[in-house]
Amino acid sequence: MTSMAEWPVVLAPVDPDATDRLFFTDHEWDTVEAATARIIPTDHDPGAREACAVRFIDRFLSGTDHVYAAADGSGFLRMSGKLADAWRARIADLQETYRRGVRELDAIAGQSFGADFVSLTDEQQDFVLERISGAPKPVPVVREADAAAPTIQVYAFDDGLSFFDALVAHTRQGFYGDPVYGGNRGRVGWDVIGFPGPASLKDTMDGTYSVRDYYLQEYDWAELIPHLRQTGDGAA
Amino acid sequence: MEYARKPDPVDVLIVGMGASGATAAKVLCEAGLTVVGLERGPWLRPREHFSGDEIKFLNRTYLWSDPRVNPRTVRMDDSETAVPTPFSMVPQMVGGGTVHWAGWLPRPRPSDFRMRTLHGDIEGASLADWPITYDDLEPYLSKVEWAFGCAGLDGADAHEPHRSTRYPTPPAPPTRAAKRFYEACEKLGINAMPIPQALITRPFRGRTPSNWTSFWNGYGDPSGMRSSTLDTFVPEALATGNLDLRSECYVREVTVGPDGRARGVVYIDADGREVEQEAKLVLLCLGAVESARLMLMSKSRQFPDGLANTSGQVGRNATFHEYLFAVGLFDDEQPLYGFPGNYISGGSFQFYETDYDRGHIGGALIGASHVGQPVNWNFPGRPAWGGAAKDADRDFYNHAMKIGHTLHDMPVETNRVDLDPEVKDAWGLPAARITHKAHPNDIALAKWQVDKNVEILEAAGAWKTIPVYLERGRASGNTCHQHGTVRMGTDPAKSVLNEWCQAHDVDNLYVLDGASFPTATGVNPTLTIMANAWRCADYIARVHAKGREERLPQDRPTTAI
Repeated sequence: MTSMAEWPVVLAPVDPDATDRLFFTDHEWDTVEAATARIIPTDHDPGAREACAVRFIDRFLSGTDHVYAAADGSGFLRMSGKLADAWRARIADLQETYRRGVRELDAIAGQSFGADFVSLTDEQQDFVLERISGAPKPVPVVREADAAAPTIQVYAFDDGLSFFDALVAHTRQGFYGDPVYGGNRGRVGWDVIGFPGPASLKDTMDGTYSVRDYYLQEYDWAELIPHLRQTGDGAA
Repeated sequence: MEYARKPDPVDVLIVGMGASGATAAKVLCEAGLTVVGLERGPWLRPREHFSGDEIKFLNRTYLWSDPRVNPRTVRMDDSETAVPTPFSMVPQMVGGGTVHWAGWLPRPRPSDFRMRTLHGDIEGASLADWPITYDDLEPYLSKVEWAFGCAGLDGADAHEPHRSTRYPTPPAPPTRAAKRFYEACEKLGINAMPIPQALITRPFRGRTPSNWTSFWNGYGDPSGMRSSTLDTFVPEALATGNLDLRSECYVREVTVGPDGRARGVVYIDADGREVEQEAKLVLLCLGAVESARLMLMSKSRQFPDGLANTSGQVGRNATFHEYLFAVGLFDDEQPLYGFPGNYISGGSFQFYETDYDRGHIGGALIGASHVGQPVNWNFPGRPAWGGAAKDADRDFYNHAMKIGHTLHDMPVETNRVDLDPEVKDAWGLPAARITHKAHPNDIALAKWQVDKNVEILEAAGAWKTIPVYLERGRASGNTCHQHGTVRMGTDPAKSVLNEWCQAHDVDNLYVLDGASFPTATGVNPTLTIMANAWRCADYIARVHAKGREERLPQDRPTTAI
C-alpha cells in the first residue's frame, strides 16, 4: 500500500474550457446544470452556470481521481488504502443519489408541466425544486430574528445527504471552490462576493498569496485595549 | 492475518503522536530514553502537502478523520440506539489536532483545578478537584509556550493568573473585525485582549512568520508559522536519534503480562500485518475518545472490563466543549472583512469565573473569530438556494463577524465513551459509542454567554444577530476538545490515574492526553494537555525510569483562588 504521504499526483487541473463529460450523460449534465442555475442564479453577476458548477460535480462523481487536488494544484492525488476504499463507496453512493435525483426532477416536471425539467421556465423549475426540497423557496434575509439557528461543524461531510442537499452543497462548492476542481470558472464566484482568492494553490504555499493588506495597517494596542494604558505594557 | 517479525523491545512506547504524544516523545528522547512512537494516521510533510484548498481541507476529509474509516456513534442516553455521527473527529495523523487547528493557546485558570472545592456537589454532575493545581502546571505552561512558539500580549489580560515568563512573540496584527470587537468591548467595559495563540510573529527557533493567506482554521500550514507538533516537537525528538516513529500503524490492543503489567501493544501496520511491540512503559496519547476506546478493547484475564479499569471509570465523565456562538451581520458601507487574519481576532476572560447571579457555575473565554472562506463561511440559517442565497453571500460575506466560546461542560458520570455493540470501523473493530446529554448547568451557561455575545455584536453595530444555543441539550461534537474519560485523582475507586497520569492499576501505563482531565476547564485544552504531558514525561524520565517513585503531597500549600 502507498502511504498517504507518497500518493502520486496524476492528471492535470481541470481545463477551464473543458466540456467533456466524465460521469453524467448529456441529459443528466443539462438537467444538473439547469438545477445549479436555480440554486445560484445568474443576475447582474455570474451564477453557477457561468462558474461551470456542473463540471465540478461531474468531475467529483467520476471516481476517486478528482477528490483531492495536489497541494500545489498541479493535478490530483491518486489515493490508496482504507481512505480510498471509503471514497470509492462514498462516490458510488453519490452517483446513485444524482442518477435518481435527475429522474425525480424529470418525474415531478413531467407530472406538473408535461415536460423534462430542463425545458421548464425558471419559475416552473423553482416549483419542482420546492417540491423536491420539501420546503418553500428561501426568502431574503430579514433583520428580524429567525427560528433557532442550527450549529456548524468546521468540516462538512457528504455522507447521508439527500439529492437536494447534495445539489445545494456541491453547487456552492462548484461556485466558490478553487478552480482546480473544474468549477469557479474564471474565479467568478470569488468576484461576486469580494474574496481575493489565490491565482493558484501553489501561491498559497510559498508566500506569494497574501491578504496581509486586509489586516489593520496601523494600530496601537494601547488604543484598542484600555487595560494596557493602566499597566503601561504592550509596547509593540 | 500476516505477522511481521517481532521488533526489539524499547524503553517507552507512545501510542498517538499528536499534541500529548509528541510532547512526551520530545521530553523523553531528550532525556536519553529510547522511544517507539506509533501513529495510526499518516505522516505528512507540511511544505509539500498543505495549501489553501478549501474543498480538500474543509469538505473532503483530507485531514479530518473520515467517518467511513473511523465511525463514531452517538446517543443521548441508554434508552436510545446510538446513530453513526461524525462527532469530535480529531484528525488522526502525526501532529494530531495541532495540524489543522487555529492554535488557541490560552492558559487554564487556578479555579479550573478546584471545581469541587469551590462548588461542592452539583446535582447530576460528578465534579472533582484535580490532584494538581495551577501552580504545579505553571512552569510547564511556560516551557510549552517557549519551546512550541506562542504569540500573546503581555499585560493585556486583566484577569490573567501568575505567569513566570513573558510571551515569546507579540500577537498577530489585528483585523478590522478585531478592531470592531475591541471598540465594542470598551464601550461595554469588557477587558478584551489578543487570545494567546500557537503561532510566531517574529523569527523564532528557525521559523519565520510567512503565512498571510488566512487559510487557517481547518487547514494545514505549509509555512511553519503556526505551531504544530508535526513541525516542532516531532522533528526535535527525531533529532536526538532516540525516536523510532512508525506512522499508519493502528494499535488494536495493549497487552498485559502474567504480572498484570503492560507488556506492549499489538498493532496493524500499513501493509495489514500484525506486529507485537514490547516496551517497559506504555503511554496512551490518542485523545480522550480513542484512548478510552483502546483501553476498553484491551480486555485480559486480569482486566476483563478493559485495561486498568477495576474502578469501572474508564470512559466515564466525558466532556466535549461544544462550540456555541453568535454571528453578527453588518450593513456598513465599509466592509468589515470576515476572512482575513489567523482566525482569532480577540477575546476576553471577563466572564470566566463563576458569578452566582447568572444562575450557573463556571463561565467562558469568549473569542471573536473568522467567519471563514467562501464555501463554508459561518452564516447559520443562511437561505440555501435561489436569489436570496446569492444575495446573502454577496451582501454579507464581507460584512460579518462571529463571537463564540467553547462550553465549560460539567462532567456527568453517565456521559461516556464505550464500545458500540454493532458498528465497526474499517478494520472490523468496534466503533467508539458516545453517550452524552448536557447537564442543566451547560444549557444555562451556554444561553447566558451566547446572549452576552449577541450584546457585544450589537454594541459593535450589527444589523442582525444570529445566536446559536445548545438546543435541547444535544451536543453536536463540533470541537476536537475531548476530556475526562480516564480521570486522574487520588482515590483509586473514583479515578483511573494518579497525579502523574499513571494508572492506579498498572504502574507502567500512563495516559497523557485530555482523557486525564477531571473537569473540562473553560479554555481550549491543548496547552493544558501539552504542559501536563511535559510534566508527567518529566516525572517518568526523572523518577520512574530510575526505578523510583514519588508522590505529590496533597496538603501542599498553593496560591489562594
